[in-house]
Amino acid sequence: MKVTVELHGATKDLSKNNFLEFEIKKNSSIRDIKIKILEFIEKNFQGNQNLRKLVQSSAFCSEEDEIISESYKINKNQVIGIIPPIGGG
Amino acid sequence: MLHAKIIDTSKEKIDILNAEKFLSSSNFGAIIYFLGTVRDLNENKKVTGITYDSRDTMVIKSFEEIYKESETKLKIKDKAVFIEHVKGYVAVKEKSIIIGAACKHRDEAYNLSRFIIEEVKKKSPIWKKEHYTNEESEWLKGVSIQL
Repeated sequence: MKVTVELHGATKDLSKNNFLEFEIKKNSSIRDIKIKILEFIEKNFQGNQNLRKLVQSSAFCSEEDEIISESYKINKNQVIGIIPPIGGG
Repeated sequence: MLHAKIIDTSKEKIDILNAEKFLSSSNFGAIIYFLGTVRDLNENKKVTGITYDSRDTMVIKSFEEIYKESETKLKIKDKAVFIEHVKGYVAVKEKSIIIGAACKHRDEAYNLSRFIIEEVKKKSPIWKKEHYTNEESEWLKGVSIQL
């Protein structure tokens, strides 16, 4: 199964494509996706601490723009969004 | 009565005349405008502009929720609200957000305007990348989104 994570704000520094894709097991949780992203940072950004902290402090949202909890399960190919700390105005 | 929109600066300009036009049709006597602009100095760094990123659909949803919440939290039933926020590059001194709040009385209009900008800061998924005179740029630290 595949999950696509749409990037926003500072997390756009993770990829020029503005998204990341991961192969995941059925019923993986958002917590599992976070681990995947942290592994990606470890591999591609030498474990950059600022990026790690950014991901750890981020929320996630569904395709329907609802904030989803860390225990939210993904059971089909799905697109989610990462919502790093915000600051509009 | 709510107008909520994201303005993509590569396609159009944010313009207070649109707020005036919208709110003048509401017939409320007290109207407050809040304009957010890009300042030229932040944490001792000379700023040339800001690139705003946003999750557009979620931002509009948050504006609608803030509008609804103003009724329950501030008990302001009769109102007209105009909210536009930019997305894309904005130079120093240019506008990034326009909030227009129209109510029957000035107390309500002041309170409503303040409420909206404070809630936008907490609830609307918008991000800023600041650009400096030394050609460096940096995403600004924000606050965790609140439900």
